[in-house]
Amino acid sequence: MKTRALFILSFMLFAFVIQAQDYLKSQFNYANDLFKAEQYYDAITEYKRLLLFDSTNTYRYQTEFKIGESYKGGAKYDDAIKYFSLAEKDAQDKDEIFAAKTQVIRSNILRRTTDRALQLLDELEKDSTFRGEIDTTYYWRGWAYMFADNWKSAARAFATINPSHPLKILADQTDRAKVSVTFAKVISYILPGAGSIYTGKILSGLMSLAWNAAAGYWTINAFTSNRIFDGFVVGELVWFRFYRGSIQNAEEFAVQKNIDIANKSLRYLQNEYKGIKP
Amino acid sequence: MTKLKLLTICFVFLIATQLHAQTDWVKWDAQTVSYELTKTQHHEYTIDKSGFGMTLISFGRNVYYFFISDLDGDNCPFNPTCSQFLVQSIKETNIFVGPLMFADRFTRDLNFIKGRDHYQIIPNGKLFDPVYNYTLNSKKIKF
Amino acid sequence: MKLSAAHKNGSLQIAVLLIFLLPILNFAQISYNNSNLFSPVNRLKFGNYLFADKDYLRASAEFKEYLKSFDDDTVRFKYSLCLFNIGKYEEASDNFKTLFYGNPFTEKARLYFYESYFFGKDYKDLRDLADNQNYKSVRYSKEIDRLKNISYLMDCSRLPEMNSFLSVFDDSVQSSIAKFYYQKKNPKHKNPITAAVFSAIIPGSGKIYTGEIGDGITAFITTALSAYLAYSNFKADHNFRGWLFTGLTAFFYAGNVYGSAASAQIYNARIRFNFDKEVKIYFGERNYFLPKSDY
Repeated sequence: MKTRALFILSFMLFAFVIQAQDYLKSQFNYANDLFKAEQYYDAITEYKRLLLFDSTNTYRYQTEFKIGESYKGGAKYDDAIKYFSLAEKDAQDKDEIFAAKTQVIRSNILRRTTDRALQLLDELEKDSTFRGEIDTTYYWRGWAYMFADNWKSAARAFATINPSHPLKILADQTDRAKVSVTFAKVISYILPGAGSIYTGKILSGLMSLAWNAAAGYWTINAFTSNRIFDGFVVGELVWFRFYRGSIQNAEEFAVQKNIDIANKSLRYLQNEYKGIKP
Repeated sequence: MTKLKLLTICFVFLIATQLHAQTDWVKWDAQTVSYELTKTQHHEYTIDKSGFGMTLISFGRNVYYFFISDLDGDNCPFNPTCSQFLVQSIKETNIFVGPLMFADRFTRDLNFIKGRDHYQIIPNGKLFDPVYNYTLNSKKIKF
Repeated sequence: MKLSAAHKNGSLQIAVLLIFLLPILNFAQISYNNSNLFSPVNRLKFGNYLFADKDYLRASAEFKEYLKSFDDDTVRFKYSLCLFNIGKYEEASDNFKTLFYGNPFTEKARLYFYESYFFGKDYKDLRDLADNQNYKSVRYSKEIDRLKNISYLMDCSRLPEMNSFLSVFDDSVQSSIAKFYYQKKNPKHKNPITAAVFSAIIPGSGKIYTGEIGDGITAFITTALSAYLAYSNFKADHNFRGWLFTGLTAFFYAGNVYGSAASAQIYNARIRFNFDKEVKIYFGERNYFLPKSDY
């Protein structure tokens, strides 16, 4: 009888300890399920509930990290960074610290606050604790540059990891495919419409050339026929207008073409690239 | 250095707490953010099919875009541009009032010393001058 | 006898076991409640935690669940405050209404009830309720009267008599508020018809009347120039060009008459907009003369 009673007592005490651990774990799993279902707002509620009742701080780091990821999933980058910073503060080892720090950087990349991302990457590279993770910092540096449309610097960052890194090749290809905005403008100063033709807008370039030729003819014709007022009016309101327009168009078309080229690569990165993304 | 870090963390935390509170005051959903860069908006060659008159006017506007406006550079300081203003004002009012609104807009465009404090400047540097402020319906006016 | 001793011994053992088991069972009950994070008690605890963190939408959901199990005035008051803080004024006022009688929150709930109408921009109903003395708070009657009077500056209703309007405010602020009163009562508006008539007589003068001097001068020059070009072309027997510039003159002239009326309307709208902004800043900086919230 005595033994049985002792057994019951011990079993119950053991069960309580297990149960205490168990309900926190099941709450964490419940929140994770919501996270996986992309119900980020509700996931945050449940992670917060866990944070309050986890008196032993068993899940503190993971929960704060997950809240950060949830906010990131909702594109609430300011809040995401806040929780990743809290996770960094509550991290238990250097791997956890590094994971939280890189998440802050990745949120900055997505938020397009590139300067801040690069500043944090600089700090990370200088920190001797993370010497073994240097390739990861170069990787995110490359991504930060790609998001800032600086493909040359991105290629350099990826090349530091591996000269034949697939993203280095992509960044190089993107950079080479771009057209020169300055060249497009300069040739339009010399021959109106030439810059537009250079950027692939042939019809627009030819029409620009035609307008300039016609307006030039009208202006000169007015001056040679001693219609000075007409000459000034046509020269100012037509010829000069279309001449300036051809230069503006050359610049705009070149910029737009470069954005199209960059967007093609960014689309690939978002939809087809299999590696880790911000 | 450690003090500075601590202060920075405290500052970020304080700012973020304020932000966070308001972020979650309305329930939100997952959001996929496009990696792509934003392109500047150019003339849209659309045809308004709301009526024969509007189809004709929007067709005329497209012809103007194609032969003149797209070639003579960025001259209009306003948003919407004068040609867009004409089409929108006719759509908003009618074929008689719309051109009057356009005539007024065109005259204001000719003014070299535009009262910049009288127009809201939008991110692309243009002066925001919407049609609804000129319909002579004071209830529609917005700032 | 032997059996009885054994029986006695057994009973003693059961009693000892019960002495141990009862607190354990009690502990089990507490432990169950603690481990059930969705029990009403834990929902309340979590709600309070969220409320303190200003996470009002989540807090309101927790309080709502708690209130399904227990009717508690404090929780209902906090629940109403959550709704108020996230801008769900209609729902908030309905909930504050349930706290009007027989609880420690009666006075505050009545004030917040009126605040819900005010911040929900339901000014007319706010004034009707205040005028009819419906649910009026004893402690906060002055605050409610002030809200009512401020509401007159927020919409297009007819202003009350000046002395009664100002009487609810402190002497130290009465001169500032009197300025708002005068501005609201006699706004410096421009008449669209006058502007149009001015421009019909002298092109551009209607615009100058509305303060658009540059536009007025430009309108005058363009109309006058195209009229001159029409005249000079007719004089030189260039009839086509003459008619072309006549058409342009009419176009600019009519456009300017129309534009002057529109300009006067925009001028008036800007006056209203600036007035509303100033009123909001002035009273906002002073928290609408409401007591500082303890929550």
